[in-house]
Amino acid sequence: MEKMTSIIAVVVAAAIVLAGTALYVLYDLGDDDGDGNTVYYVVEPPSSMKGTLAAGQIDGYIAWEPFVSDSVVGGVGTVLKWSGEIVPNHPCCVVAVHDPFISDDEGQELAARFLKAHMNATDWINAAMENKASPEYNLLKEIAVDFTMRNESVVEEALDHMTFHYATDDDFTVALENFTEMYLDLGVIGEEKIADGGYENVTDFVDQYVNGSYLEIAQFVEPVDTILNPDSPIRLGFLSGDLHQLAQAVAKSSEVLGNGKSIFENYGLNVDDAIGAPFANGGAVMDAFAGGYVDIGYLGSPPAILKHLNAEVDTTILAQVNIEGSAIVVKTGSGIDNLNGLVGKVVATPGESSIQFLLLKIVLQQEGLSLKIRT
Amino acid sequence: MKSLAQFIRGTVQRNWRRVLLGALSLVVFFGAWQTYSWYLNANDIGYKAYFPYPGEVAEAFLDSFVTPDFSGLLMTDHIMASLKRIFLGFTLAFAIALPAGLLIGSYLTAEAVGMPIVEIFRPIPPLAWIPIVLIVLGHLSGPVVIVFLGIFFPVLFNVILGVKRVDPLLLDAAKTLGAKRNHIFFKVILPFTTPYLMTGIKVGLGIGWMCIVAAEMVGQYGGGVGYYIWARTAESNYDYVFAGIAMIAILGILTTGVASQVERRLYRWMGMK
Amino acid sequence: MDGDEVNIQMEGLLKVFRKDDREIVALKDFNLQVDDGELVCLLGPSGCGKTTVLRIVAGLEPKSGGRVSVSGEEVSGAGPNRGVVFQEFALFPWRTVRKNIEFGLEVKGIPPCEKEAVSSRYIDLVNLEGFENVHPQQLSGGMKQRVGIARALANDPAVLLMDEPFGALDAQTRNLMQKELLRIWSATEKTILFVTHSVDEAVFLADRIVVMTARPGKVKEIIPIPIPRPRDRTSPEFISVRGEVLSVLETEFEKTMAQELSGD
Ligand SMILES: Nc1ncnc2c1ncn2[C@@H]1O[C@H](COP(=O)(O)OP(=O)(O)OP(=O)(O)O)[C@@H](O)[C@H]1O
Ligand SMILES: [Mg+2]
Repeated sequence: MEKMTSIIAVVVAAAIVLAGTALYVLYDLGDDDGDGNTVYYVVEPPSSMKGTLAAGQIDGYIAWEPFVSDSVVGGVGTVLKWSGEIVPNHPCCVVAVHDPFISDDEGQELAARFLKAHMNATDWINAAMENKASPEYNLLKEIAVDFTMRNESVVEEALDHMTFHYATDDDFTVALENFTEMYLDLGVIGEEKIADGGYENVTDFVDQYVNGSYLEIAQFVEPVDTILNPDSPIRLGFLSGDLHQLAQAVAKSSEVLGNGKSIFENYGLNVDDAIGAPFANGGAVMDAFAGGYVDIGYLGSPPAILKHLNAEVDTTILAQVNIEGSAIVVKTGSGIDNLNGLVGKVVATPGESSIQFLLLKIVLQQEGLSLKIRT
Repeated sequence: MKSLAQFIRGTVQRNWRRVLLGALSLVVFFGAWQTYSWYLNANDIGYKAYFPYPGEVAEAFLDSFVTPDFSGLLMTDHIMASLKRIFLGFTLAFAIALPAGLLIGSYLTAEAVGMPIVEIFRPIPPLAWIPIVLIVLGHLSGPVVIVFLGIFFPVLFNVILGVKRVDPLLLDAAKTLGAKRNHIFFKVILPFTTPYLMTGIKVGLGIGWMCIVAAEMVGQYGGGVGYYIWARTAESNYDYVFAGIAMIAILGILTTGVASQVERRLYRWMGMK
Repeated sequence: MDGDEVNIQMEGLLKVFRKDDREIVALKDFNLQVDDGELVCLLGPSGCGKTTVLRIVAGLEPKSGGRVSVSGEEVSGAGPNRGVVFQEFALFPWRTVRKNIEFGLEVKGIPPCEKEAVSSRYIDLVNLEGFENVHPQQLSGGMKQRVGIARALANDPAVLLMDEPFGALDAQTRNLMQKELLRIWSATEKTILFVTHSVDEAVFLADRIVVMTARPGKVKEIIPIPIPRPRDRTSPEFISVRGEVLSVLETEFEKTMAQELSGD
């Protein structure tokens, strides 16, 4: 018995050593290409980034709020660069509508009213943030805490770094053109897709894909006493706990106006969370558009562009939701205080088609650094 | 070449019913797919791009081997990355599950000590560990450990089953032939358990492929076919998504096929067919 | 060897099985001695404890009381000086004929060339030439039991314990194997304790037949078979001895029936 047990022990030990060795032989752990200017990336969900950063599995990450403030308030991470420093006023989330929804007058009317509510909520947020002593700011924090399930200090920190902005101005369209060009260069969007979609070029595509006229009409929308669509609510898509999309949470809240009505209701709208909402990412919102489960959605602009061109999901961008509000975070105490400090290090990104990935790529290019997948 | 042709003709003549039915089933499958994609396009259904034609998928499949993707990787890189994970997860699972199963199956003490832990962990789907594993073990070993968990339990339980089913008559025979405990272990229990072990390995490999796709989607180094599917989905290049799915199917069939071949060889060699 | 030397000695053997809270007395005051080179058949109704006797001698089952010795040595645990042939053959399916026969030699650590010489000798003895590298699965029942016998003999045991070794064979093969056993026995001069259900088989093979009582098993009667070998089943001598054994057995069969009907 003793003999057998010891034989087994030896076999186990040998096998584990073998597997361990194999692990390290098979995986080339060379840290740097040796060219001294490569930053490595991995892809992982933002929700796990604080943990992997704390555990030392990654050296930094780029993500949106509140995943930035999560680490900052938690003492794990330090912001290396805000996204506004990379591309000032860069677009982030947008309001998009499923084209069939606005194919008739009634839908167009509802969409305009929806945008009025969106504008109203955004203005209210901005006003509340002006005065942090105001009861409105407290209510805003309450709504944000509810929506993101974060504690107050994370929400406060995050709000400080966010800009809520709805106009589809030139900064917006130019940035969308740039992103689209990048996707075309990288081959993510095939060259033929622009022509297939019936567009002359990238500028024409962005011109047609972004329709600012609803924002203009919305200016003239007035509150009404009755609900215009009591039986067929607008099915709303949005992301889970994405602080950027706070406006829709504010517009749903019955406490903001003080008359017991939500902003949506104030403009005569019956708005329901779509089946599947809140969604995990913008791609999922676009998929739900395609499946016909969502009428109006809040989502990041890159998935909107990608799925509109690549998967022919018939949508139109009606407004912005926020600008900037993402950041590159490095581990606190790592001593990394500039982008060159990231050379040979691993930075987590939410995915190669995310706006954060493009921003990281742009800022590294500006510094003469290249971004490669960690192998 | 001539002999190969003869071989194929012979096989077809002998099994023409099976070949015919098999071909028919494939034709029906691809026909249905083609028709569905055509239907979506003809009626301009919103999600038509999500179901590319079989031909488009075939084209994307071939292209994935020659045109680097967004990450600058070819399909072959992704295949290698996934195979490494399967290989390492498998080696680890095998190295731990086989001796552990033999011990637990053989000794009541080992069973009393080991089974509570095993029973706690067994019902937990390997994928449930992904977020934790990624943080604790990182992008390199994390997905490997997920695969390991997927393969570990089928191997372990089949080995335990095998040991417990050892024919007592064979143990008696061995004892009367002068076998001591270590002889009985290596010359009776171990060979008797081999077919059960092979069953565990086959089941485990299947689960391993399911785990790897999900694990790679959540975080890894160097891509992988699971990651490939995830990334192409984010880009909405569904013809490439389907190509990735087809690749997983092919890899799964190949690895379990290899396991079946090994099993068959082993059985023939052991005279148990 | 001295033909009259006692080889297997059982005195006051007691065996009690415990099953759920019940005690089953399988053997009580069982006494028997088997001489060196003798072929003794154990005969008795089903469930009387024949297998139990054999397993205790083999060392596969501990006794509850009494004494058992083989070649003057107290039995404690199984060992290679007592070869066992099982009714169900108990061959290792993953081993070839030769490897099955070599099992005991391997365990003893015999060097390869010697091992092969020994196994070849026993393959010849049981007439399995040409089947050395075949797996048991491909063999007929009779051939399987030849392997079983060769495997037990290859260890050169002092005694051969056989528990209904031909019970699973058809009548033709069975008769053939009985003749083969006698041939092998005379070639090896082993002491054989042979359990059987068949009076015919016992009379054909045995030097002495030990008839057991119904449970709890003990020796009811020991019948010497004086018929010279080769024995002819059709001879009047054979038939009269068989009748004698049958009548001794009859009363025990009836007791067993009564036991079974009373649900004990
Ligand atoms: N492991 C055991 N546990 C409990 N009872 C047992 C066990 N083995 C045998 N017995 C009982 O002991 C008695 C003798 O069994 P044994 O197998 O020795 O009989 P046998 O004479 O060989 O019968 P058969 O002719 O059917 O082979 C039977 O009543 C049987 O039920
Ligand atoms: Mg018996």
